[in-house]
Amino acid sequence: MKKLFLCTCNGTLNKLLDFTKIGKEVKALYDVVEVVDNLCLEEGLTKLEKGLSEDDRLAIGACSSQIIGVPMKQRIKNDLVTFVPLREQVGWVHVEEKESATNKAIVLLSDASVQLDHMESPTEFTESVVDRVLVMGGGIAGLKAASDLHRLGVEVTLLEPSGQNNERYLQTSVFMSDTDTLINELQAIQKTLKKVERFEGTFGEVTGQTGSYDVTLNGVNGNEKIREYGAIIVASGNQQYLPRSAKKMRHGKSERVVTLDSLMSRLKKKRAKESSTILVAVDFDAPMFSVEGSHLLRSTRNLATRGYTIIVVHSDIRTEDENLYREARDSGVIFIRGKVTRIRENEKGLTCRIENTLESMEREVIADLVAIPQMVGPVNETALLADKLGVDCDNNGFIRTRYSKMKPVQTSRRGIFVAGGAKMPMSLSDAMASAQNAVLEAFKVVRSPLTRSGWIPVIDDEQCDVCKACLEACPNDALRLMDDRIVHVPAHCEFCGICVSACPTRAIEFQSHRKESWFARFEAVATTHRRLEGKKPFSFVFACSECANASIDQAGFAGKQYGTGSYVIQFPCAGMVSPIEILKGLVVGAEHVIVAHCPPGGCHHQTGDHLSELVVSFTRDMLREIGQDPERVQATYMIAAMPEKMQKEVPVRG
Amino acid sequence: MDKRERLIQKLRNIAVQTPTAILEVPEKVEGFGSIKYRPEPCSVCKKCIEACEVEALDIDFTVQLPAYLDATIPEGGFRSKNRETLISLLQTLKGEGDVQAISVPTGLAGYGSVVWFTEKCIACNKCVEACPEDCLDLEKQYDLPTIIGDVVTPPSISITEWEPFIICFVCWECSHAAADLAGLMHLHYPANIRTVRVPCSGAVEPIQIMTAMENGVDGVLVTGCLLSECHYGGDDPLAGNFMQQDFVHFWQSVFEEIGLGGRLHIDFASAAMGIRFTEIVTEFVERIKKIGPSPLRGKLEVES
Repeated sequence: MKKLFLCTCNGTLNKLLDFTKIGKEVKALYDVVEVVDNLCLEEGLTKLEKGLSEDDRLAIGACSSQIIGVPMKQRIKNDLVTFVPLREQVGWVHVEEKESATNKAIVLLSDASVQLDHMESPTEFTESVVDRVLVMGGGIAGLKAASDLHRLGVEVTLLEPSGQNNERYLQTSVFMSDTDTLINELQAIQKTLKKVERFEGTFGEVTGQTGSYDVTLNGVNGNEKIREYGAIIVASGNQQYLPRSAKKMRHGKSERVVTLDSLMSRLKKKRAKESSTILVAVDFDAPMFSVEGSHLLRSTRNLATRGYTIIVVHSDIRTEDENLYREARDSGVIFIRGKVTRIRENEKGLTCRIENTLESMEREVIADLVAIPQMVGPVNETALLADKLGVDCDNNGFIRTRYSKMKPVQTSRRGIFVAGGAKMPMSLSDAMASAQNAVLEAFKVVRSPLTRSGWIPVIDDEQCDVCKACLEACPNDALRLMDDRIVHVPAHCEFCGICVSACPTRAIEFQSHRKESWFARFEAVATTHRRLEGKKPFSFVFACSECANASIDQAGFAGKQYGTGSYVIQFPCAGMVSPIEILKGLVVGAEHVIVAHCPPGGCHHQTGDHLSELVVSFTRDMLREIGQDPERVQATYMIAAMPEKMQKEVPVRG
Repeated sequence: MDKRERLIQKLRNIAVQTPTAILEVPEKVEGFGSIKYRPEPCSVCKKCIEACEVEALDIDFTVQLPAYLDATIPEGGFRSKNRETLISLLQTLKGEGDVQAISVPTGLAGYGSVVWFTEKCIACNKCVEACPEDCLDLEKQYDLPTIIGDVVTPPSISITEWEPFIICFVCWECSHAAADLAGLMHLHYPANIRTVRVPCSGAVEPIQIMTAMENGVDGVLVTGCLLSECHYGGDDPLAGNFMQQDFVHFWQSVFEEIGLGGRLHIDFASAAMGIRFTEIVTEFVERIKKIGPSPLRGKLEVES
């Protein structure tokens, strides 16, 4: 049976919308229509629970699913539910137009009825999980990750390049903190690693999926091991390299030009002889990571306090601790904003010409030594490593994470995490925190049973041409080519539906969101709208279920009014929208179709925002060619922090 | 340079006028044809490109909107349902004005079309077989104008004393025996031919004919066993001489287009037909004498 529960929100919503008319109009669409006053409270919930049986399909016309969905969850008997946010997306945003708002509610409820007809139960699947984690280490973050996993009682293998020892760890992490802290931390971690399995060598191949990755380990002495791991943490660390300008600074040509780190270790705790001047030449063009800046400030302060005259020629210095800069200045370090343009060596020392970009003037300084701060990058092997693991790297060669704020250790592949400097140069405390974070994520993978459920893409091998467009589009490695057919890997799937929009043949259909269901829904909206509103134009807003939908709900909370002829159709991700849905929207009579996605780079499924922009621009090109106004189709981003977005995007008509 | 490229290069070398007609390819001639591509049902699966061994197909990141809008969707529709829907939606929305192909934004998977390069194609039909969507057809047509391009007519020369020089391919079964018999019978025929013995008339390759022409011969004569009596196939329609007959007809039409009309001929004689052989040779020499010297002689002279 198809049932509709309408909530008056404690007798308020029925003042904004004509519930009698709604009830009358939708009576034919549902087997049962019930109006309650407070669906979110115990009284309403009990009524709902009593009124439902196992195989009912349910539409809820109340507040946003974000609100009512939570208390309802325990009371409903299946997943065949759809929500029509009559409060946030109708009542509260069309306060002035009771009649039109009521009509809009009826249209949306008819849409919900069609949606319920096409709704399928989500697919549930369980994957086996191996309770073992591989840490691909090389630096201090790798040690920390292995140590924490061991403490959590997870079996762990720490894979490292051969010949790692405390001296080398120190050398490669010298920029992360001051030496004493580093040594203390290292010693403390090493103590906890006694019972951890350590493997010297490299890895050959990785197959499988999150929960069970088969990894080939190649030992230094030629032994090969194939082991199964539930999750992998990449903590390959950093290495330092000379900036491009080093050669111009006569590094390698003059004995007086050295790297800052080698100078530090050479001078150890020595105090300065009389008037020895050290010029520190920072590469003017290369952007600086804040850890590099902090390290520069720590080192120069250290030298200045020992009596050396330190001149730092720099462009932008970034640091995570402003006090370091203050302390360096207080200890006598001289900072000149500019660029060393020439260095000449003579018996007096090194004559350095400095172009001061702040004062637009040149000056010459005679220094006894020139020190060049080294830059920090990923270890050389990172690119190869990422390639073998199938994870993405950014332009600087660091391993890319899925979403800098919410998924800071998740790589583009599920079950593979990144910790420490492999993601970006980090200070010691950040690296430790990042390792802990990665450990917790890996722990979640190996310790929670992999039972998930959701609407998944269903592949029809008969229809499939194996064009691989879906493979190209899937941002999550959830589709793979096996024996010349496309196979769905549910463990990796995020249920975004991006693959569906790429398929030219309709060999992939998304459960509950088959093309037919979209078409039927658009038609239902259009015919109901025309029946109630006549010739009044209307628009579709294809909103992603994440940011865009939140923004539209927020418009309700903030009372940002907009025109009534605007029907929001929720897509799992804006990347699921293909030109077909947009054109169908226009064909059924919509004046505008607006595709609303997450902000640029903020898609919850990595690429949906970008892809929907591409789809819209492509559709606009097609419309222009066939003699239609391309302005009828727009893509835009919406975000919860911008509740006024809906008001701006939806055309308002009287 | 592969064989096909060499052949086309030679064709371009011997052409003395710009061809204008698209030629029909005779039934038994294989290796020459045109691929007809329908972009509308195409899912851009690249199967045809993968199947093509001579790289005569490639992907093109454009959408052929004119073809989309002109398409009639068959009953039962296309195999690519999404493409079918897209096309019918576009047709519904079609407004005023001309339509042109548009390019696909970089990074958008699932759209595009296939381009075909006439001169690389060896009409092997592999792409047609590989296509799951029935977008490709092999047609018995040869787009000579595209392949040859514009031809600069060589300077004409006046030769006062001229005797035709003709290469005559003889199969080493019947027609060679016929030539021998003509000798045994002391029959006279013009001395303008030079025979080249080949295993079967069907073994004469186009590239050999073109090479002869390229070197300035005035005509090429191919002789074989009587039709239905080929020693390699007998009366099979695919026997050597049957096949060569169609090939020679094809090349005759090509010669016609590129300004060498009448300079290629095929005929047949059995081992007992010494007289017929002399007739064949005499007739062909007479014909060449009427047409005059090969226009390529002028070209060769200028080059040397």
